[in-house]
Amino acid sequence: MEELRQPIILGCVAAYMGLCIWVGIWAMRRTKSAGDFFVAGRGLGPVVVSLAVFSSTLSGFGFVGGPGLVYATGMSSIWMAVCSALGYATGFYLVAKRIRMVAEVRDTMSLPDVVFARYGSETARLLTAGTILLGVLGYLATQILAMALVLQSILSATEMFADISLLASVVISSAVLIFYCVTGGILASVYTDLVQGIVMIVAGALVVITAASVFDGGFAEATNIMLANDGEDIMPFGTLGTMASLSWYFLFGLGLAGQPHVATKMMMNRSLSDNRVILPMTVLGYVVAAMLWVSIGVIMRALVIGDIALPLGAADEAAPAFLSTYAHPLLAGIVFAGLFAAIMSTADGFLNIGAAAIIHDIPKAIRGRSLNNELFWARTATIVLSVVAAGIALYSDKLVGLLGAFGWGTFAAALVPVVLIGLNWKGATARGAVVAIASSLAINFAIQLWQIQIPYKMSGGFLAMLTSMILFIVVSMMEKQKPLPDDIDRVMDL
Amino acid sequence: MKFLKSVQPIHLVLVLLLVIAGITAFVLMSEPPVDATGVPHESIAGLSVGGDGAAKLATIGKAPFYFQIAVILLAGTLLYMGVAPHKRDNTLRLFFAAGTAFALFVWVMLFTGYEHYILTGETRVVFGFPMPTNWMLWGIWGSFAAFDLFYVIFFRRYFFTPDEEAEFDALVEELKSEQGDA
Repeated sequence: MEELRQPIILGCVAAYMGLCIWVGIWAMRRTKSAGDFFVAGRGLGPVVVSLAVFSSTLSGFGFVGGPGLVYATGMSSIWMAVCSALGYATGFYLVAKRIRMVAEVRDTMSLPDVVFARYGSETARLLTAGTILLGVLGYLATQILAMALVLQSILSATEMFADISLLASVVISSAVLIFYCVTGGILASVYTDLVQGIVMIVAGALVVITAASVFDGGFAEATNIMLANDGEDIMPFGTLGTMASLSWYFLFGLGLAGQPHVATKMMMNRSLSDNRVILPMTVLGYVVAAMLWVSIGVIMRALVIGDIALPLGAADEAAPAFLSTYAHPLLAGIVFAGLFAAIMSTADGFLNIGAAAIIHDIPKAIRGRSLNNELFWARTATIVLSVVAAGIALYSDKLVGLLGAFGWGTFAAALVPVVLIGLNWKGATARGAVVAIASSLAINFAIQLWQIQIPYKMSGGFLAMLTSMILFIVVSMMEKQKPLPDDIDRVMDL
Repeated sequence: MKFLKSVQPIHLVLVLLLVIAGITAFVLMSEPPVDATGVPHESIAGLSVGGDGAAKLATIGKAPFYFQIAVILLAGTLLYMGVAPHKRDNTLRLFFAAGTAFALFVWVMLFTGYEHYILTGETRVVFGFPMPTNWMLWGIWGSFAAFDLFYVIFFRRYFFTPDEEAEFDALVEELKSEQGDA
């Protein structure tokens, strides 16, 4: 079986990509308007929505970067995962119902549409769309780069593709992503998310079982090795300490509902009552898949610190090294497919909201109406956005780092006050929203551009989010409350 | 009493955000110890170790403890805002008080367990992990999973009642007919 490891892994990845292409063709026949392309006509069932929400949240970072961070710094980064129950609670208590109602009464297609409906401000819509576009470019570039690097590592292990270049890997992996996103829009995106979510849950569960059997004494033996060598790493705050961990908890726990690719999917369910089923399925799916993050990281760190395995060349090799050494070839194949699934499920969501920002939101904010023949332009914008992001990924390391780090923190800092608080507090004003978004962009950009080192490694996104939330409330309170449009006022009473 | 009645959840949110900002400012202004965020492993490249946990907290003391208390109270208040004001009855308040108290209890157990470890170097390993880490893995996650469960069980009572459903359907119909007239 061991000699078939590479063909099995390749077979699993190829089968997964084939499935994505098939879903793209299937969804193309059902995509007849821009509404179908961007919000799937608000007709999705609870299983599809819940798996789409969780798989979009857990990107390739959770499957590669997460285990790498645990390997390098112990348990610090796990605060980004244990906050998921809070993150989804805020999403469903504060956003899911209202955003879906606004979507129906105003026939909105995107988050900036919802922001405009709530605040009646084209500036707020433009800033929201601009924020989304900036964040999407960065996130997408990092996802494409991650996808290409994984594909290159798989293919280069075979005789036929031993010398495959990064450019060729970018072209192959992006081609599959672009194909199903362009043909099937959000419908293809969410149905591939369904497949991707299932693959990620299976991968997460199987990896935990495998990881627990690496040491005879299971995780307890790994823990004892770490306690004997350092100890801080396996304690709750890891090597980075309390404030770094807790700032991540704040940013990821309260910031999840501000992620546009997550919030947008809350507009797509067929019935509002489905939220009751979507929330628990989302939380459970995320937890099982995220177990891979903890278990691989802990086991690889214990193996290396305990002198049982050789040190890794780079922290991000933790997951691939674990899979190639300790996992059954079939499991390795499933997890590698799961890895692609994690990356693609986030990337397709970004492509969709990015295309909406370009052809729908920004034109609407500037000239009062979106482009004619939106469906055609949506497909064109999806291709252009992918090519630009792939170009950034290939030719500008600095820009990838800058925009990638910009992603989550920017979305959370800019959109949490505006969406999460604004949809639940009638006193929130357009000026408050504009100040919150602008301040969060300024702080995040300043931290990234000038490479400002924050003491105790507290997250820059956390500082930006804290500032924008305070400014949003204070500026809104200083203004006289204006009457809301009747439909929005009634929605906010429900 | 009249003042207390005029206090809205948004006021509490603002106060808690300011408390968090105050604690954060205190931490940012304090002089970080040399190994505040770990030190490179002496022989393994790319891997850091925690060093002296007690020394890490020397200049900021219990600031992280109070920081997280404020964050938990903020999270509870924000979630409370997610229930429409006219549906906030005593049962709901009781659940939110109990749920938030449980989240605070978990945090106290986690932090005091960690303090005990950094002072004595001793900890119990349960379910494969040190006790404070278990409080983090299962307790921190579980304390807000309780709010998720509450949402599922009381969905029709607090989050989307049959009356609201009818009201929303009526609003949609009304808007459709207005558009039809136009």
